[in-house]
Amino acid sequence: MKKFGLYSPDGNRYAVLKKGLIAMKITLILILFSTLNLLATGTYSQTARVSLKLNQTSVKQVLKEIERSSEFYFLYNNDLIDVERKVDILANNEQISSVLDRLFANHEAKYAVYDRQIVISPTNMLLPQDAQRRIKGNVTNSNRESLPGVSVVIKGTTTGTITNADGTYELPKVDENSTLVFSFVGMVSQEIKVGTQKIINIVLSDETIGVDEVVVVGYGTQRKSDVTGSVTSVSKDRFAKIPVTNAMAAIEGAVAGVTVSTTSSMPGSTPNVQIRGVNSINASTSPLNIVDGIPFDGNINYINPNDIASMEILKDASAVAIYGTRGSNGVILITTKKGVSGKPSIQYSTYAGFEEIAHILTPRDGASYVQKYKDYMFQTGQTQTSPVPNLYEVDNYTAGKTTDWIKEATQQGFIQDHNISISGGAENIKYYISGNYLKQKGVVQGYNYERAGLRSNLEANVTDYLTTGLSLFIVSNNYNGGRVNLLNASAMSPYARLKNSVSGKYEIYPMYPELLYSNPMIGLYNQNVDEKINVNTNFFAEYKPKSVPGLKYRLNASYNYNPTNAATYSGRPANNTVNGTATATNTQTSLWVVENILTYTKDIQKHHIDFTGLYSAQKQKYFSSGGAASGFVNDILEYNNMGAGATQTANSAASSYAMASQMGRLNYSFNSRYLITVTARRDGYSAFGNNTSKYATFPSVALGWNISDESFMAGTKNFLDQLKLRVSYGKSGNMALGVNQTTTLSRTVSYAYNGATMITELANRLGNPNLHWESTVGLNAGIDFSFLSSRISGSIEAYKTSTDGLLMQRNIPLITGYSSTWDNIGKLENKGLDISVKTINIAKKDFKWSTNLNFSVFRNKIVDVYGDKKSDISNRWFIGQPLASIYDYKMIGVWQTSEATEAAKYGVKPGYLKFEDVNTDGKIDANDMVIQGSRYPKWTGGMTNTFEYKRFNLSIFIQTSQGSLKNDVDLSYADEAGRRNTPAEVGYWTAENQSNTRPSLAYNNTYNYGYPRDNSFTRLKDITLSYNFSERLLQKTFLKNLSVYVSGRNLYTFTNWIGWDPEDNYLPRGVTQNNGAVTWANNYPSVRSFVFGLNVTLK
Amino acid sequence: MKNIFFTIICLCLISQTFFSCSDSFLNERNYSDYAPSTLTDSLGFQAEIGGLYTQMNYWESYTDNQGWLCVWQVGTDLAYSTPNQQGIEIPYTNYDLLISTDGAASYTWKWAYQLINNANNIIYTIEKGTVAGLTETGKNKVNAEAKFFRAYGYNLLATLFGGVPLITEPVSTAKTDFVRAPIADVNTLIEQDLLFAAANLPTIDKAVSQARANQAMAQQLLATAYLRMGQPSKAETQCQSIITSGKFSLVQSRYGIKKSQAGDPFSDMFFFGNQRRNQGNTEAIWVLQQEGTAVVGNSTGSPQHRRVWGAAYYNIAGLAICDSLGGRALGRMRLNNWVLYGLYDKTDMRNSRFNIRRRYTYNDPSATYTAKYGTMVPYVGADTVYKICPSTTKWGQYDPNDAFGYGMWKDFILMRYGETYLLLAEAQFKQGKTAEAAVSINALRTRAAAPQVTAAQMSLNFILDERARELVGEENRRMTLMRTGMLEKRALRLNKDVNCPKPILGLDSVTVKKPLLPIPQTEIDLNKDAKLEQNPGY
Repeated sequence: MKKFGLYSPDGNRYAVLKKGLIAMKITLILILFSTLNLLATGTYSQTARVSLKLNQTSVKQVLKEIERSSEFYFLYNNDLIDVERKVDILANNEQISSVLDRLFANHEAKYAVYDRQIVISPTNMLLPQDAQRRIKGNVTNSNRESLPGVSVVIKGTTTGTITNADGTYELPKVDENSTLVFSFVGMVSQEIKVGTQKIINIVLSDETIGVDEVVVVGYGTQRKSDVTGSVTSVSKDRFAKIPVTNAMAAIEGAVAGVTVSTTSSMPGSTPNVQIRGVNSINASTSPLNIVDGIPFDGNINYINPNDIASMEILKDASAVAIYGTRGSNGVILITTKKGVSGKPSIQYSTYAGFEEIAHILTPRDGASYVQKYKDYMFQTGQTQTSPVPNLYEVDNYTAGKTTDWIKEATQQGFIQDHNISISGGAENIKYYISGNYLKQKGVVQGYNYERAGLRSNLEANVTDYLTTGLSLFIVSNNYNGGRVNLLNASAMSPYARLKNSVSGKYEIYPMYPELLYSNPMIGLYNQNVDEKINVNTNFFAEYKPKSVPGLKYRLNASYNYNPTNAATYSGRPANNTVNGTATATNTQTSLWVVENILTYTKDIQKHHIDFTGLYSAQKQKYFSSGGAASGFVNDILEYNNMGAGATQTANSAASSYAMASQMGRLNYSFNSRYLITVTARRDGYSAFGNNTSKYATFPSVALGWNISDESFMAGTKNFLDQLKLRVSYGKSGNMALGVNQTTTLSRTVSYAYNGATMITELANRLGNPNLHWESTVGLNAGIDFSFLSSRISGSIEAYKTSTDGLLMQRNIPLITGYSSTWDNIGKLENKGLDISVKTINIAKKDFKWSTNLNFSVFRNKIVDVYGDKKSDISNRWFIGQPLASIYDYKMIGVWQTSEATEAAKYGVKPGYLKFEDVNTDGKIDANDMVIQGSRYPKWTGGMTNTFEYKRFNLSIFIQTSQGSLKNDVDLSYADEAGRRNTPAEVGYWTAENQSNTRPSLAYNNTYNYGYPRDNSFTRLKDITLSYNFSERLLQKTFLKNLSVYVSGRNLYTFTNWIGWDPEDNYLPRGVTQNNGAVTWANNYPSVRSFVFGLNVTLK
Repeated sequence: MKNIFFTIICLCLISQTFFSCSDSFLNERNYSDYAPSTLTDSLGFQAEIGGLYTQMNYWESYTDNQGWLCVWQVGTDLAYSTPNQQGIEIPYTNYDLLISTDGAASYTWKWAYQLINNANNIIYTIEKGTVAGLTETGKNKVNAEAKFFRAYGYNLLATLFGGVPLITEPVSTAKTDFVRAPIADVNTLIEQDLLFAAANLPTIDKAVSQARANQAMAQQLLATAYLRMGQPSKAETQCQSIITSGKFSLVQSRYGIKKSQAGDPFSDMFFFGNQRRNQGNTEAIWVLQQEGTAVVGNSTGSPQHRRVWGAAYYNIAGLAICDSLGGRALGRMRLNNWVLYGLYDKTDMRNSRFNIRRRYTYNDPSATYTAKYGTMVPYVGADTVYKICPSTTKWGQYDPNDAFGYGMWKDFILMRYGETYLLLAEAQFKQGKTAEAAVSINALRTRAAAPQVTAAQMSLNFILDERARELVGEENRRMTLMRTGMLEKRALRLNKDVNCPKPILGLDSVTVKKPLLPIPQTEIDLNKDAKLEQNPGY
């Protein structure tokens, strides 16, 4: 007997299992065979004839005999079918069906013939012969993990369901001629003909550049193959297994055309995001974030990466045009996870690990520091009276004791993150609830970040025509803690006094009497509260009138409340000289958005029409209040009773803006082959000037052509899966203009006057009542391709955008009494190419190797500044040159001792930087400055290699950015070179070493030369190794799924940059904030992190 | 059908709600700032005039570059930079480095035009039409005060840059076609504004308060401007008017908070608590208030006067920062040997130890310094360049709550009656009235117990010497020398100490290469629709 190889090896094992499971296994076989059956033509069973003559023979023997004498073979389960039953059978050249009919007549078994295969099963199992039946099944991903939320739709209808938490689904009444479409965001959709099957289990595979993927587009979703604009989906793996604290960090370098730069690794900081070049000079260049369909005003940190189900990035004018005045910088659509009906799914994921400074710009050691001081005194012509410059250094110097200040100021960072989510639902109600806790202790002491958040996404089908839902999240972000000043640590003499020997506290001025640098550690004595809370509520109601199929009205209403609380206290140990200063500031920002969306979908034969209309309004309000006090009796009250301060001040501020918008979009496709999208949006914004319309209109059109579906391409079917051409043209805007820029305003400065405070007013800002939006016209052409059964797939896109009426904070002559004003002037052009390719290099049973490559290049050009094609040198805006040009003197070396006479002609000495006298007029002045390059990279790229071996998955991501210049502040010490310690890497000129790159210590940078330097880099950004335990191993546990991973981030950087990191934003004097306080957060070094993580799903 | 009907009604209602209010919905309101357009009544003007004083404070308290005040003193005839110079003043001793992107020239330019714009806002609103609640006299008073400051701004620009663009109305849109007005036009505006101010401002005893503008301020500024314009007789008239007003007198005897301590009448004028008219200073014409910020808060910066002028004695082991030594200073510049050893007669009060501190005594009581305590710090070696250099006491100030001394928190005497005599003498000398000039000078010398001078001794150089004796540390020496055209000659002749660590470079007395400051390069670049001529030498 060709018996059931499929499960005979495990026969014993299955024998102990319950009947239901066996039934499942049979179903599996049924599916397998039914699939084969579909492929066969002209069935054997109809032509074959059987002859038999057997008496009192067991059924088993009869079947065996049939198998021997024919090509048929049988599948059945001994436990379910009584094959030991003795029968008499006589057949003479009969069809198999008539033989089997007699064999199983009046018995609890039925058979099904699939060509040569015949399955025998109990009658309650076998498929009824009616045309409509109930279909069940489950959907998993390639890791065999259940996939909840997969849409299962009967093709060509709106009937369907989605899989529940176990990944199972059930559809009543499915016609046997129908086809089921399984689709899930970020995965390849599958279509299965129902036929005679009753249980259909599907394995969906992940696909970033898949052909049948469903993607979220603005105000709806679309099949990837129907998309006409430029929409990139981000691989979900980038959120699940990379230890990042916010979603943007996860996509850094991973998506073509999206530049994410980590300007600070400070815990809780957010990277800069820029999509396809720079379309604005002064206005914001950050994309618009849309979370679950609603514009999101808050910090991206507020969104827990673990709650993200999908992320799409809209890049071209057509895709973003529906966001009108906010679209020109690109749009990021974030969709959070939703519940699915069925058994609850409880998931827990966590990671923990440590962080260290990726590269330390090590200060000079004792000997080198002493030598530097000696050289400094000599070079500046001073008489050296002590080996070290300052009084407080003498003791340690004499004792030969040094302090590693960087070590004192830093520590090993630690990060931990915990997520729990529970999702599930009943037939008409679905829920997803999650909780997140993240705690990060930074590498510089006092830099902490703590986030705790809750999310609840609920959805209810109230009636068959009304669905409502509510999604709520609340997140608390906390950056508390007095902070160490890393800059001062790097400036400290190795012999400086760390602590006061009497008080045991940190010495305020470790290099006393040098008072420019206070102890980096005294910041720890400061109290610092910095808390931000975000409460977000989104409500929707969706109404589908039964009488008009395809029509849908949706109301979105959202309210976002964002209070912040900041308080500081700086007391006497922290070098406060006014007996303690306390501040406290509270702000509240609230935003409401109401959107009315009407959609209508209609298919007429091969014509598909899809219309979306929108009317929306939103309003934001901001209010802040705060106070400050100083002069406290002692330091114990901190900021908790500012009334106890001798001097008290108060402040408050308020602002508000409103927007009203209308939008319409029409998608039309013919036979899914020719696609067209037409959109128009009209936006009104309160902050635009009174002298101009507050409204702007933005149209766009996009075309798509699925060439591979054409009949003339039939010959390519054997290697070409998909080929699609897309082209779009449209206009979008940038309203990124702060409130109240259109009127001239005064500034209040209180003034001490006759012993009392007088309020005085000074002109502050020149308003411009003509201000309106920037408009960007963009052309995008793209090709999507997939070859050799998706072994090679990808897309190539070229674009050109041109922005007019740039919102520029243009500098104006100081003669006006003002230094700048906002204006709509200038024209900017961006051209670029985005390439994404995915290849599956090896796809063996146990081993798979795939590569994702992305490459982006953009060229940015100022076409005009003031409408007269003249460059604006003082703003560094040069016609025909990119924005962010570096315009400076051209350093050609250092004046050497032998050139003293020549140097004197320029008023300088040997050891001073030698600049090229470009116009050869015998002096170095502004006329000798030249454009040296741009701060924008020439090209950027990313490569992810993923190796899968059995249940191991190894992913290696390399990022690169090439061809940019940046001013290197770590090379300039101006008049401080002799007063502070400097990095060992940064040398200086002496008469002996005759350096030709570094000036002497006497060099005081009066030309304000910026030391521009190439900051190209290539980074081994992250490596993740994960292991996914098999369900079999977990069988006896309470776990359904378990995967573990280790991941390292920012592992190694190849660069010629001198400094802490080529991407850092290091500033020598910190950044003065709006409230006047100085933050040193910019000088936080970039970090390397290693984490261990774990994802589990409970049974 | 019912459903469709219902839907349409709903949609209409929702849309209607928003459409109907959309006009006002997009109106913008400014919640938290005043604007020149909303400060148009009496109280609004008072606040804007207050702004002009605040703007004055931005000049005195500019802290971003701590060497700012040195710009106006080093490289002149009386002071040089020590090794502790900050940076912004470097081009003012090394003229090869004085180029069109100069930081001090830019700040000066910006500051003056901000002052002018703020004054213009007031003048424009007043002159444009009726102002509710103000009589003609009231309006003229406000206008006069604003015009005083506008003239102050233009006079400063004219002195340092020559003819500059003339703006007499507030700028309402981005403008990039400025041209330099002839110096004569600038002078005319200054003269008109100050004549109006002098005619309409109250006398000092009738002023709104002693901190606010008075007639004598306008007259003294006008006298200075006339001297620059080469109209000495008009200058003389203004000075005589101040003197004959009888509102001021030279301080001849001890007064005020330190009356009973060792000192002299001259030094009394410069103590915290002694500088104002109501504190006994009868020479105070214009005292810009700053005192009391510790209580009422709010200065526009940390004034660096004490820090740049005072000796950095805290660097000497055994010397502790204290009140009697004038608080903590950095010694960013040093008076040269001409001032210290050649300028004064022995008896001159202005050279007394109360006015120029020349010697230090160890004062640190801690055990380490017991042996030295109370003995004189030897005046030898490199330390005399800035650590224990002789220095003026005019800016001494000490706050026990701020021993570090981030700023100097006392009033700024911007115009003093003593200078009126110097301006008068200059005006008289220029008209050939040397005898009268000697009388004017002798008025100051009598007060200072210095020997009398004769008509024969009168010369511009002598008057400038006398200005140094009287006003060192107070006047903007660079502006005085530029006004009189004597900068190069006097700097090269008098400021050439052999031990000077930063000698003057790039200055040639024969050919004056850079007689004026550079028009800021950014201004020339930004002013794209017209050419702003650069000054010679840049």
